[in-house]
Amino acid sequence: MTSSRPPAVQVEFNRTAHALELLYLLVVKELKVRYKSSVLGYVWALANPFAFAFVYWFAFKYVMRVQVENYSLYLITGMFPWVWLSSSVVHASHSFEGNAFLVKKVRFPQAILPLSNVAHELVHFLFALPVILAFLWYAGEIGPKASWMWQIPLMLATQMAFAYPLAYTFAITNVYVRDIGHLAGIGFTLLFFVTPMVYTIDMVPISWRPWFAFSPLHLLIDGWRSVFLHGRLDLLDVATLLGWSSAFAAAAALIYRKLGPRLGELL
Amino acid sequence: MTLAVQCQGIWKSYRRRPRLGIKAALLTPRAPDSRFARHWALQNVSFEVRRGQAFGIVGHNGSGKTTLLSLLLGSLLPDRGALSIHGRVASLIEIGAGFHPELTGRENVRLFGSILGMRLREIRERYDRVAHFSELGDAVDEPLRTYSAGMIARLGFSIIAHSPADVLLVDEVLAVGDARFQDKCHEMLFAFKASGGSLVIVSHNMEALTRLCEFGLCLDSGAVAAHGPIGPVIDYYATLTANRPKAISPGK
Repeated sequence: MTSSRPPAVQVEFNRTAHALELLYLLVVKELKVRYKSSVLGYVWALANPFAFAFVYWFAFKYVMRVQVENYSLYLITGMFPWVWLSSSVVHASHSFEGNAFLVKKVRFPQAILPLSNVAHELVHFLFALPVILAFLWYAGEIGPKASWMWQIPLMLATQMAFAYPLAYTFAITNVYVRDIGHLAGIGFTLLFFVTPMVYTIDMVPISWRPWFAFSPLHLLIDGWRSVFLHGRLDLLDVATLLGWSSAFAAAAALIYRKLGPRLGELL
Repeated sequence: MTLAVQCQGIWKSYRRRPRLGIKAALLTPRAPDSRFARHWALQNVSFEVRRGQAFGIVGHNGSGKTTLLSLLLGSLLPDRGALSIHGRVASLIEIGAGFHPELTGRENVRLFGSILGMRLREIRERYDRVAHFSELGDAVDEPLRTYSAGMIARLGFSIIAHSPADVLLVDEVLAVGDARFQDKCHEMLFAFKASGGSLVIVSHNMEALTRLCEFGLCLDSGAVAAHGPIGPVIDYYATLTANRPKAISPGK
């Protein structure tokens, strides 16, 4: 056995590299497990957002007669980032609870578990991306834009930074109060309707509008829409979102410091 | 010889009942001192394990053995006392529970190896030895749900036994597989010791403890009842068991 210690930089590099490998393996596991012995495989990942978009399109366009230009495009471009965000937080809220054995009996970077949920949904989103772009081209005659080259990666990174602290906070608080997991599911259903998802911000009564516009969820979804439909991205919105993300991250870190050490005891 | 594990005056308590949930809050009257209603699972436990040695922990159910291992692993924190471990720790606790039934044996080795802290490169290097040791043959490429309990345990033991740990925590898993595989496991643990690794073993199998361990301690309701060379510790445990009042006394 060697007694000489490797330099600190190398230790840190090894730790990060190991964390990334573990993240990769967890995401691969999740994908394999979810689509094993299903015929359609990853097509199911597309089915959920498309089914919802279709239902809302039918209900609001033809039954309620909502007048929104390019309504199907409006729905689709919002729906996929929404499903990414909500599914990752809802799944992540059970990530410690569902892996109680690992958290209790194995020493490993636990923060990877909720991150793997967010990353797994990111992979689904990336799978769906060509389909979204094809739909934009087919239904809206919106061709590929050069600005997407930087806007889409920037939005991907922003949403990762936004979703992970939320996912982590839900995961760790759910260990203490198991109601949080239920709350996440209902919460995102409610948020779906107080975020301009199936209606536009212009349809909101003018006195409420500032509150709706203030919501980080609206900023996130609207950012994606603006990128997909117009190839425009307001960098101030991105900065505001990253501000929200930092606030969530600070809250998550605080909660971790307070609750993290007792995690093994309560599972 | 250098120390691998050092425990000094460890105390660990659990809150008697975690008050969670609306029902509990409404229906259970809150005793004025409920915040202090604590159950001391470990009281002033001290011991050390040197490199290349095995340390056995005996005691009745609920005497704090598993709590002690969890503290060594780091998944629980002590209330008081100092605890230091030199090197990487791995636990042979509830083998196989970290596996996923839909993944093949090979995929589980990769995933669980990574969870145990191995880099993919290390896993690849060791994979053949792990597969060979587990004696699964071609079954490694079948999903785990088709395995028997013994096969899962063998695979689990193999991965952990081949992980680059300096300290192995073993909780009552020396009963893996058939007699021949158990012999293999014991040989593996002896080889691990010989290469400078340390073992902390919780077991009710006194014969195995006598064979493997040099030193040990006996826990009684969270306190150290005996500590020292493994022979006397086991003898003490035997007298403790013999003198223990039985809940159901045989009619005489």
